[in-house]
Amino acid sequence: MSTRIVPAPLTSVVAQVQELRDAVGHRAQRALAVARARWLFRSLQSVGRNVAAYGAMRVENEGTVELGDRLTFVGGMMPGSLVCHAGARLVIGSDVQFNYGISLESWESVQIGARCMFASFVRIADRDGHTKAPIVIEDDVWVAHGAIIMPGVRVGARSVVAAGSVVTHDVPPDTLAMGNPARNMSMELVSRETGT
Amino acid sequence: MSPIPLPVSRGWSSLLSRLKLRHCRVVGATPTVLGRVWIHGPGEVRVGHRVVLDGREAPIELHAMRGGCIVLGDDVTIEGGASLEALQSITIGAGARLGAFCKVMDNQHHPLRGNRHERPASVPLVVEAGVTVGPRAILLPGAHVQRGATVAAGTVISRRIPPAVTVGGSPPRVLRREVA
Repeated sequence: MSTRIVPAPLTSVVAQVQELRDAVGHRAQRALAVARARWLFRSLQSVGRNVAAYGAMRVENEGTVELGDRLTFVGGMMPGSLVCHAGARLVIGSDVQFNYGISLESWESVQIGARCMFASFVRIADRDGHTKAPIVIEDDVWVAHGAIIMPGVRVGARSVVAAGSVVTHDVPPDTLAMGNPARNMSMELVSRETGT
Repeated sequence: MSPIPLPVSRGWSSLLSRLKLRHCRVVGATPTVLGRVWIHGPGEVRVGHRVVLDGREAPIELHAMRGGCIVLGDDVTIEGGASLEALQSITIGAGARLGAFCKVMDNQHHPLRGNRHERPASVPLVVEAGVTVGPRAILLPGAHVQRGATVAAGTVISRRIPPAVTVGGSPPRVLRREVA
């Protein structure tokens, strides 16, 4: 009499491998992203904890850059860029999320508050060839795909900058800015009209 | 002269195109795929006949999330950097052209008010036959570009665009009407 190991059905093995991959893959990617961020942001003055970069980034720092905790730079089809020129200052708060292709450039001062969200291809630069003025983005701001924030703009807390808009004037708190040049609208009215 | 005879090399590139589109549910006849095309997500992507996907300068992203469906009609041309994200459905009609770095999405991904981490409802997005979408244009949920319309470069669309007009500017307006 011989004991024989009954082979498990192939489908269950495949399912288990898949499950393991799903469980481990996520954490592995996260660990890789944190390691990549540590390497990419090595030239910055202060980097918070748990900063993750899931894709390539171009980082040039000659000024002062301070990053908060738990930042996420999502990777994608285009590398993001983070540039701080000599004597300039770039401060990013905690829990901010950046999608791919973002372009942050500081010649004087750019400040970004906590819990902001930046979609892909957003450009924030405080010099445009004519003027050089500091940009302030307060907490909980959502900037949608392809928006451009011009120099000297202050975007108020909890505001939303709509996709593709060019923000040339200040945006008050709790406001939706859309269009080129961006017009400020009440979020109440817009959400009532569109049902969102 | 190339060392490989032309029919064979064409056959080879067609085979390569099919290989790049292997994650699609349906692929029509003679697709042309240049450069990189990313097809990801558990949703389904259906591609019509003779499509041209030119991802040479930047990858084309076809992202059908769970329950999402992206349908490209016949003779659709998509340039590099275009990104289509579907949670429900995106339909591109026959002969439509999408310019470089277009963004087509049928979900805003974040609500305007309330908890930003919840996902709002999707609205199906339709681009009808013969439409031209310019580079860097953004089609938001609820966009319905009707037959033969043209969307100028960089325009943001989130509503119905009547047939055979050119829209542009921000906020968008009708720039030109085709005289029938």
